Amino acid sequence: MKIAMINGSPKGGATNSGFLLDKLRPLLPREAEISTYRVGPKALKEEDYDELYRTDILVLSFPLYFDAVPSHLLRMMTEMEQRRPVDESQRTIRVYAMVNNGFFEGDQCKLAVNIVENWCERCGFHFGTAFGHGAGEMFSSLGNVPVGSGPLKNLGFALEHLVHSIRSGEHAEPFFTQPKFPRFLWQLSSTRLFWHGAAKKNGLKPKDLRRRPGIPPIRLSPPENDVKR
Amino acid sequence: MKMIVHDLEEAGEISWLREFGAGQDVIGSEDAVIRHCTGCFGCWTRTPGTCVLKDEYRHLGARLAVCDEMILISRCTYGGYSPFVCNVMNRTLSYVLPYFRTLEGQTHHQPRYEQAIRLTACFYGENMTEKECGTARSLVRANALNLGAERFEVSFYDNVRQLKEALA
Repeated sequence: MKIAMINGSPKGGATNSGFLLDKLRPLLPREAEISTYRVGPKALKEEDYDELYRTDILVLSFPLYFDAVPSHLLRMMTEMEQRRPVDESQRTIRVYAMVNNGFFEGDQCKLAVNIVENWCERCGFHFGTAFGHGAGEMFSSLGNVPVGSGPLKNLGFALEHLVHSIRSGEHAEPFFTQPKFPRFLWQLSSTRLFWHGAAKKNGLKPKDLRRRPGIPPIRLSPPENDVKR
Repeated sequence: MKMIVHDLEEAGEISWLREFGAGQDVIGSEDAVIRHCTGCFGCWTRTPGTCVLKDEYRHLGARLAVCDEMILISRCTYGGYSPFVCNVMNRTLSYVLPYFRTLEGQTHHQPRYEQAIRLTACFYGENMTEKECGTARSLVRANALNLGAERFEVSFYDNVRQLKEALA
């Protein structure tokens, strides 16, 4: 069984999408041949697409952008659809997705999962299942917490859900969850520690984050008659 | 003023768009190369309100703030926007604040600006499925909520000709 794991985070270094893939990897069947890909602002190579079409299982792990799939990953998905082999005897690829979002509620990932499902239909892939997990920015501070306990208790259920579908080959409805952690504490810590902490590192005060930059020069579209031909 | 974001270069409909978008802030893929959002949050915590990527699209938040309507003209792509229109949306992150508020029981961003836009999305494409249309409707609604839009509209067209007739 060949499994391709795609990290769809555009960030360099450690990412929340990579965190999820790291937690998934030890739960996959031992005999699986696993390869990993990074889809960021830099496009995949021609041979990468060929390899992806030779895989049995595709796992997409990505952050939620504007309630959907981020544009760089969407571009890769459209490329993959366009490069679909004409040979009808191609193997059927099963697709799984792990979506993390910056809000608290995991079910805000629902539309991104719907987009992945619609992509599967266009490409002739089988959609296995997916999960959406809220408060993804918490992962970086929970590296030493075992999955399935404390704030990562629900992530344990989510991974179990995904792995069961991968092992059995059965489709399952998507699963949405968030950390086992009070929402008001998450909101307080994200403001005080995360945003204000980042502002301080950049030499800014909390009130600076509310700045409204001046109106930039906008090149308005000229009337049709004014356009030089 | 309206901000019109479109992918009509790919459909070869630029001359019509010049007339439709005269005097508006029109954003298309032929204007300049757009870089993808890298999720660095620099537009929130380094240069608040402005993207740190140095290209033509770094001021999208402030540009949107002087508009009363955002019109998205996009090929329906798996129930969402096309990669270019999606890219522009991703780069407007500075329009909102990093801080959160609760709307309809869910966390969303606080607005940076007082004014509220109308969000209008016009999707075109052959053979759009019901499921894709349903996803697209929900997506625009969710985007409108997160951008603090006062209202939103979604419409679908089988091809660009129909879309042009409807917007004429």
